[in-house]
Amino acid sequence: MPGLILLGASIYATVGTLFGAGFVLRGVERVDPAALGAPWTFRILILPGVIALWPLMAWRWWCAPRTRGAA
Amino acid sequence: MSVGYVSVQWNRHKRIYDACVAGGIVLYLGVFFAAGKALYTGRNAISGEILAMRALATCAFLMLNVILCIGPLARLDRRFLPLLYNRRHLGVATFLVALAHAAIAIGFYHGFGNVNPFVALLTSNTNFTSLSAFPYQTLGLFALLILFLMAATSHDFWLKNLGAPAWKRLHMLVYIAYGLLVMHVALGILQTQRSPWLASLVGVGVVIVATLHLIAGQRERRHDERGSQLSPRAGEEWVDVGAVDDIADQRGSTVTVGAGERIALFRYNGCVSATTNVCAHQGGPLGEGKIIDGCITCPWHGWQYRPADGRSPPPFAEKIHTYRVRVVGRRIQVDPTPLPPGTAVEPARVEEVQSA
Ligand code: HEM
Ligand code: FES
Repeated sequence: MPGLILLGASIYATVGTLFGAGFVLRGVERVDPAALGAPWTFRILILPGVIALWPLMAWRWWCAPRTRGAA
Repeated sequence: MSVGYVSVQWNRHKRIYDACVAGGIVLYLGVFFAAGKALYTGRNAISGEILAMRALATCAFLMLNVILCIGPLARLDRRFLPLLYNRRHLGVATFLVALAHAAIAIGFYHGFGNVNPFVALLTSNTNFTSLSAFPYQTLGLFALLILFLMAATSHDFWLKNLGAPAWKRLHMLVYIAYGLLVMHVALGILQTQRSPWLASLVGVGVVIVATLHLIAGQRERRHDERGSQLSPRAGEEWVDVGAVDDIADQRGSTVTVGAGERIALFRYNGCVSATTNVCAHQGGPLGEGKIIDGCITCPWHGWQYRPADGRSPPPFAEKIHTYRVRVVGRRIQVDPTPLPPGTAVEPARVEEVQSA
């Protein structure tokens, strides 16, 4: 049982990390135009949160307007 | 305020704050470690790992107690406001110190076998029904997860993108983490049969945190109760909320009218304006702020709004509710119906009394 929990957590975190890399590079600007041109330190800083909350942020990215928001 | 994100909006205050926090942590750990080595020698000697783990553990727990006291202290006495200003960095630092403690604990107690140390943590003890043998490490793990979530979502990006109510609820979990940690420490002490001084220190911490919250809460309630007696007389929209002279120049004050939100009043340059008391950032009490450079300045993190229309000065775009206000004689009257955020309202003119 603990093995299963751990496996689940590892899969969640791995998917989150892969998704997170894409999100902080591209998605974040679509979800929140204020992030356009934000420095890489900002992107690193929000990465742990994106990994933890990746399903939510994936949903936000999916729902974000297709065109780039005006900043 | 949000125009393009940066990693941290550094300024002098934050640098000094962070330097004090880092210095304090290093000093605490150093003294703890040195004292442990000096006091326990010979047969009683404690290994470096255990000492480091305990130093980090007590440091993180102490920091958490400080964090929880800052909120009510700042409500009770303005002199504590500078501590509140950068509380988030303190929170992130607490998580990192706690993480180091947990890493040593997991590595040291569970890391030597051939079982994954995390699996060992969850399986080595499953006495969930017994208090004296309860796997207190699991409580620590859950608390650590909460601290992680809070640290990871501490940037303003999260405040904006999760929405203030959800963000606030998430960060309220700190009280659950605190409860879990009190149990973690109490049961840990019980099971390792340590001297009771640590347990009494934890008790003192809990009493201080709880008392401060009760006092601050009671004060707020009394303020609101006084306000609930204020309401417009039948057929009238204006409510008398106090005297102009009760507010110092370039300062604010707070009133509650009926069951409504709190209203902040500001006196500046011979004018009075009224806005919501709730800052658009994290709900800081604007009425306890000052007018700086002609703008209402939140006492918590310094967001600014023009008093006459509740808008942040460009290039910022934040808006807060405003209220219609007038001055009759030396009395201030407001219309307690909030106007849409950012609505311009003519400030009420005050006849300044010329002192001879
Ligand atoms: C995965 C998470 C955690 C694990 C596995 C863990 C493990 C442990 C262990 C094994 C001890 C007993 C140490 C001893 O022999 O004295 C302990 C004590 C303690 N832990 Fe944790 N812990 C965790 C998280 C935390 C967190 C998040 C805090 C937060 C501040 C914390 C604070 C403490 C304190 C104050 C003590 C008592 C220190 C002492 O005995 O001197 N722990 N923990
Ligand atoms: S609450 Fe942060 S600036 Fe007002």
